[in-house]
Amino acid sequence: MGDYKSSSTPTHEGEQHLIAAARHIMQALRSSSFLTDDLRKTLSDLESHLSAIAAITESKTQEFSEFEKRLKSAEEKVFSWESNDQIMIWDSGPVEASNYLKSIDEIQKLIQNFTSLSVDEYGKHKELFYRADSVLQLAMSRLEEELIHILVRYEQHLEPEYMSFRLSGADIVYDESFVSADEESIEEASQRNRYTNESDDYYVVDLVQPLAIPHLKSIAKAMFASNYGYEFCHSFINTRKYALDEYLVVLGVQIFSIEDVLKMEWTSLNLEIKKWSWIMKIIIRVYLASEKWLCEQILAEFGSVSSFCFLDISKATMACLLNFGEAIAMGSRRPEKLFSLLDMYEVLADLLLDIDALFMEETGSFIRIEFHELMKSLGNLSKTTFLEFGNAIATSNTSSNPFSGGGIHPLTRYVMNYIKTLTEYGRTLNFLIKDQCIEDSNPALELEDRQGIEDLFSSTFYPTAHHLLSITSTLKSSLDSRSKLYKDAALQHVFLMNNIHYMVQKVKSSKLMFFFGDEWIREHIAKVQQHATSYERATWSSVLSLLRDDNQRSHSFSKASFRERCRAFSIAFEEVYKSQTGWSIPDLELREGLQISTAQNVIQAYRTFVGRISGDISDKDVKYTVDDLEKYLFHLFEGSPRSLHHAFIRRR
Amino acid sequence: MGATDNQGSFLNRISIRRNQVVSMEGNHEQELEDLEHFQKHVADRFSDLLSPSEDFPSDPMLSIAWVRKLLDVFLCCEAEFKAVLLMGRDPSQISKPPLDRLVPEFLDRVVKALDICNAVSHGVDSVRHFQKLAEIAVSALEQRPIGDGQVRRAKKALSALVIGMAVEDKEGGGNKATERSWSFGRRSGVSAPNKERAVGHFRALSWGMSKGWSAAKQIQAMSSNLVAPKGNEASGLAQPVYIMSTIMLFVMWMLVTAIPCQERNGLMTHFPVPRNLAWAQAMIGLQEKISEEWKKKEKKGSAGLLEEMQKMEKLGQSLIEFSDSFQFPAEAEKLEEVAAQVAELAETCRKMEEGLVPLQQQIRELFHRVVRSRSEVLDVLDQGGKASAPVM
Repeated sequence: MGDYKSSSTPTHEGEQHLIAAARHIMQALRSSSFLTDDLRKTLSDLESHLSAIAAITESKTQEFSEFEKRLKSAEEKVFSWESNDQIMIWDSGPVEASNYLKSIDEIQKLIQNFTSLSVDEYGKHKELFYRADSVLQLAMSRLEEELIHILVRYEQHLEPEYMSFRLSGADIVYDESFVSADEESIEEASQRNRYTNESDDYYVVDLVQPLAIPHLKSIAKAMFASNYGYEFCHSFINTRKYALDEYLVVLGVQIFSIEDVLKMEWTSLNLEIKKWSWIMKIIIRVYLASEKWLCEQILAEFGSVSSFCFLDISKATMACLLNFGEAIAMGSRRPEKLFSLLDMYEVLADLLLDIDALFMEETGSFIRIEFHELMKSLGNLSKTTFLEFGNAIATSNTSSNPFSGGGIHPLTRYVMNYIKTLTEYGRTLNFLIKDQCIEDSNPALELEDRQGIEDLFSSTFYPTAHHLLSITSTLKSSLDSRSKLYKDAALQHVFLMNNIHYMVQKVKSSKLMFFFGDEWIREHIAKVQQHATSYERATWSSVLSLLRDDNQRSHSFSKASFRERCRAFSIAFEEVYKSQTGWSIPDLELREGLQISTAQNVIQAYRTFVGRISGDISDKDVKYTVDDLEKYLFHLFEGSPRSLHHAFIRRR
Repeated sequence: MGATDNQGSFLNRISIRRNQVVSMEGNHEQELEDLEHFQKHVADRFSDLLSPSEDFPSDPMLSIAWVRKLLDVFLCCEAEFKAVLLMGRDPSQISKPPLDRLVPEFLDRVVKALDICNAVSHGVDSVRHFQKLAEIAVSALEQRPIGDGQVRRAKKALSALVIGMAVEDKEGGGNKATERSWSFGRRSGVSAPNKERAVGHFRALSWGMSKGWSAAKQIQAMSSNLVAPKGNEASGLAQPVYIMSTIMLFVMWMLVTAIPCQERNGLMTHFPVPRNLAWAQAMIGLQEKISEEWKKKEKKGSAGLLEEMQKMEKLGQSLIEFSDSFQFPAEAEKLEEVAAQVAELAETCRKMEEGLVPLQQQIRELFHRVVRSRSEVLDVLDQGGKASAPVM
């Protein structure tokens, strides 16, 4: 550095000496006596040239020392800060900062002046040029440090609501198997946490305090004007990348390798998926949108620089977030995953426009493409998982033992709650499977369901409705074959009645109603009724036939025959009582309905019978009174087997 | 590349033949023939890489262009492998022994390879970062005549580059530590947050891979249960599964040696491939050469074997020496020497500018391709195993 300042100005002096020497020679020539006119003229021309040159040289010398003075004062400014290690310029107030920038501006102007002069004209200028270039480098280095300092000092953290991830109580993990599915956890799982619709709450924030923006802009301007744009970007990108990394740590982002994800337990994975969905929204919609805005505020004047910086700041984070999705999309198709997959898909679909806006430039297109691809793979996985759900039901017939008591099978609960939850995703599912239903017609789909589909054809929910109907069809046929496991035909009917009734209740009480339609509900209520009737026939027609008078004309029943019939009826009734008190109709209304209608038939027949025989045999031969019978009938289907035998004996 | 030319016809033949004979038993001979073709193609492709034909000017081993060729070879082999393994095949064939064990093992390796792809792709970003620093140095040193300011400017960039590479080598932790030398070299104790960042407070977050993930360990794990099929198995489908596993292991290993990558300490330098296998000869040759380089690297420390990076590192160091001793005005002789180095560095930057983005895209393509194949194989396994395996 110091070398330049002390260097003298030999070239200029040399020039002046030369001119003086030329003048000297001319004077000598002029004093000689044999000058021709021509020669004399040439000499005088030469003389005026020489004085012109001298004048220029003189002014140049003046200009030069002017330059030197200016450079020197700018240099002093830069050097004074160079020796001051402890205080930052922009911390020392706006005046200091603006003075520093002025010095830089001055140096730039000088450099421009020097370069506009032809290079070899005056070696002295060259030296000044190097001095200026050198001090400019120092100043630029300083600006970089100031830049980083300002970015860090005025960095702002996001609002607290974006800072931590809390799971609400509604986020219960969907349980994995049909068997362990108990009602409550499924019910709760179906109340999904729909933060999807809260998009209004997201807004762009100031990641750096607004008061610092003009500072940053002025630094950018100075550095780009001095051709140190690369250095600016380098420091800017790295500092902002740190800020993003730091924020990710605060958010609790953890990185998982694909191997980690594929090996993770479903419960933990499900939690990570929820976290991911939340983080994706915050990062893309709030943080990166704000980051892009910050870049634009500072760098808008420099063309594509802003989007280039933004891309470099954000791409590693984007790659990391997308990779988690990628790993999930590689996972197996298991029914319990479907909701999380659909959640992820919906999150991506929801962010699609944001991503397209953030990375709309060509340079960022690969992120856009990866994002779209990921959305496609998650969509495909959701679709196949959904479509295979029916198969899963069909192949879940593993038990060869009938389900005890004929109550509501866990499979029915699982499937119905599952599809009830699916209705929350109706729009997404429709979109995903819209091309699917024509080519794929489920043979298990029963005729009346096809009818239902026809009705729904124009409905917006058509493709999903089609598949939901096909799922319930599969469920019904699975239930049919499970019912065959009961030896008792009456229990088969109770089982089907219970399960179909449950299906109807679920449909009626939820959005499934819109997918299945009134027709389906009516038909299935009729089916329940049908099974109830069939039950009564299967259980009671033979029992009641004992009471019925086969031969209307004959009034010639013997006492013995009456007694015999009465005894046979009692035994038959006791048997029914013994087995059917163990059967279960969990729905109280349904149970009472069946009890009442059974009682009506049985009591009616029994009362007639008892009335008819009352004259012929004594009361003690009639084991049960009408009231007894009525009371006992209301013990049926409560799911705890009882015996009348015992009670009867005790009464005696 | 010659190797790709015959691929189309090979795949067509398999497809046509399988369509014709799919229902027939006893196409074993055809299958042997397919297998032989596959092995021959593998051998040809790798020997092209080991000793390219004289007619074409070749890219030096481990240069970006060469690595890209190797990835092309991988993609070709992978496509053929899939054809041999899956095309027109009855799913039950790959779900019975020994494939019921070998195929899932293969898929495990695939998953590890995918993670390596991600780590390496992240590493390419670091290399891009180095490239940008080198470009600053080039543009500063290209100015003529050269002055103090530009020399200092170049030195600053090059120091960051060299230190960054050294840190990358030791920690493989992204480009965080580069900053230390870049912007915080002089001013200490200015502001606490700056300093904290400078010393890489967040280095634990080397974005890309999870904590504790190690490329060296993944490579080790990929090779641990890799055994050449013997006896009867050698003529069956176990053979292509083994070949493809070996290719995948080799390619991933090469990428890890070439490009900065998280945790490469203890990276194996040799994996056992039986020497009597014709298809493996060229691969063994390549492996030995790269191993030599890697051992040298381990001694002197370097961010990666990628030719352009090594060159950058060497030139960077030499130019730093120049700038340390620089006095204005520079001697003409010295300047000429520097100009040559700068030109070489500029050329290296140009190659990186041209090659790194496509390389990264290619790694991504490989990633997606392997993901797709994996899911196809899983589908077939699924179909084959449906009768026995419970779905839920």
